[in-house]
Amino acid sequence: MFLFLYLKRLKCLRRDRDTVFWTLLFPILLATLFYIAFGNLLKQDESFSAINTAVVNNDSYQQNKAFQQALKSASTGEDRLLNLSVLTAQEAKQKLSKGEIDGVITVSDSITLDVRGSGLKQSVLKAFLDQYIETEKITSAILAANPSAAKQGLFNSLIDRQTFTKEITLSGANPDTLLNYFYALIAMACLYGSYWGMRNSTDIQPNLSALGARRSIAPTHKLTSVVSDLLASLTIHFAQILILLCYLAFVLKIDFGSRFGYVVLTCFMGSVTGISYGTFVGYACKKSERIKSAILIGISMFLSFLAGLMFVDMKYIIAKHVPVLSYFNPAALITDAFYSLYVYESLNRYFLNICILGTISVLLAFVSYLFVRRQRYASI
Amino acid sequence: MIIKVQNLVKRYGDLLALDHFNLEIEKGEVFGLLGPNGSGKTTAINCMLSLLKFDKGTIHIFDRNMSPDAYDIKRDIGVVMQNVAVFNELTVLENIQYFCGLYITDKTKRNQLVDEAIDFVGLGDYKKFYPKKLSGGLLRRLNIACGIAHKPKLIFFDEPTVAVDPQSRNNILQGILKLNREGATIVYTSHYMEEVEQICSRIAIIDKGKTLATGTKDELKAMVKAGEKITVELYSDNDLNGALIEKISNLPHVTDVSLNGNLLTVRCTGGRHNLIRVLDTLKDSGLTFGRVYSEPPTLNDVFLEITGKELRD
Repeated sequence: MFLFLYLKRLKCLRRDRDTVFWTLLFPILLATLFYIAFGNLLKQDESFSAINTAVVNNDSYQQNKAFQQALKSASTGEDRLLNLSVLTAQEAKQKLSKGEIDGVITVSDSITLDVRGSGLKQSVLKAFLDQYIETEKITSAILAANPSAAKQGLFNSLIDRQTFTKEITLSGANPDTLLNYFYALIAMACLYGSYWGMRNSTDIQPNLSALGARRSIAPTHKLTSVVSDLLASLTIHFAQILILLCYLAFVLKIDFGSRFGYVVLTCFMGSVTGISYGTFVGYACKKSERIKSAILIGISMFLSFLAGLMFVDMKYIIAKHVPVLSYFNPAALITDAFYSLYVYESLNRYFLNICILGTISVLLAFVSYLFVRRQRYASI
Repeated sequence: MIIKVQNLVKRYGDLLALDHFNLEIEKGEVFGLLGPNGSGKTTAINCMLSLLKFDKGTIHIFDRNMSPDAYDIKRDIGVVMQNVAVFNELTVLENIQYFCGLYITDKTKRNQLVDEAIDFVGLGDYKKFYPKKLSGGLLRRLNIACGIAHKPKLIFFDEPTVAVDPQSRNNILQGILKLNREGATIVYTSHYMEEVEQICSRIAIIDKGKTLATGTKDELKAMVKAGEKITVELYSDNDLNGALIEKISNLPHVTDVSLNGNLLTVRCTGGRHNLIRVLDTLKDSGLTFGRVYSEPPTLNDVFLEITGKELRD
């Protein structure tokens, strides 16, 4: 009997196009919009390409061996900064105007840079030249004061570039605050599972639907009906969340770190919480289905907002000023579970979030069952 | 006794929906609950099905106390609701399978019953249709199939013909009689007296949550003074004077005479030759007339006499 009810319910829910749109297609659409809106900020593997640069071949350039050496260093090797061409002033000007090169360096009494437009490459070129000019000035000043400085190796530290810090996470993933938007999006999708929960409650209560009346008249134990409906909706919704997760991870290439099993567990618990929340509203709220839907959307969006869906810093503002709210907000708990997996090596904080989600779900489900158990209605 | 309801009281706030409602239904009956909208028919059924709480009274079905978890009783009950109760996402076949499956766990038996139900309501050509693709009449038939597929011993039909075309209505009524012939006891609620007269072996007239009268249609009609209603269409050049109306009024069994335009209406109590006597009187007075109707009393006449209002008021 249970399997029969479960399979039929599964078929029924799978064909509910309206709810499938809101619980699957809408989050995918929103994720795509996020991805487009954030654009290149999310492309972590984008490589820097060398800057096409020309140097004017004049007497001053030919005499400035140090600058020639500096340009040679910057334009050789795999990680070269420049694609250097040595051209006449006329040729360089033409190529610059056609956009074939990004800048023209001219050596005269001083070193000047001509660029067309402004942008990252132009800024890098300017920084390169500024740094050279500054280094040249310091070198000249040192040699004027101490002609034997070069022999003593005093310039080594001047030209040596060292980086003493490296940015990494304990889990080995690249830190990125934009990821929280996608975590909050999954949290929102989990809470949208409340649609399935509400539909379950509507379809089983005689005071809410004719279907509920017909099912209540049947000789099926209420618990069997409730649990089969719940499991069917959980199956559908969890599958939807997994599809969303795969879309984010494999199509949009959103980084969820290396602990994918725990990511899936978070999705599962989020799905359970969403359905329990919808079931609870469905049983506890005595208003029309339209009002209940509005309540579900409103609360889901508000909780997702607090978890950083629209403004990523909101999560941190809440955590700082009203930390207790984060412990009761399922969206914040789901987001924080993803964040914990991504950032911390320890799973303590992650499991705290999962346990709170589980407790909330069990409480909501239990209260919902009390509403429906042996129920006879005052009016239908 | 299939159903025994005693002193059932149900209140909606200040409104008394059922006022010491009593009902007894025997096995094999097609029992009609007749009353205007809001008279308490559906409330009574919902109480009998343990869907509604009630304030007072007892309900026994199959000689056992009815309660929400009386699954052994529920197993033998079928219900065809006033509102269509099917899943829009399941096809005709899947819907019937689902609702039959709530009662029958054996797959082979269930499939056989589902096929029989589909044949019974004539939806063989629509098995793969979704409810939204069905016309109103076909949807009602699906609603019926879902309620009766498990072959229940007791079937409640709660206004199953509301918003149904005449042809489908007739099919539904014939189907109900067939179910009864196959052994099911039927409880049929309607505010259409013609339907109730057509199919019910016994009838309870309900108003304001009370059972006003119970019996066969002949027994109910015998309870009231109103008998035959004779209508005569007079030609317009006739001169029907007060003396003649009085003469007709004085005929045996005549209780009331009225003239509305050229339609003369004569109401009589039970009597064998009322029509002939009225027509002879008109002929003797030299009046000419066209069409003549003689109607036996209806349940509406019974309702009118008991409550002072029309059934459709």
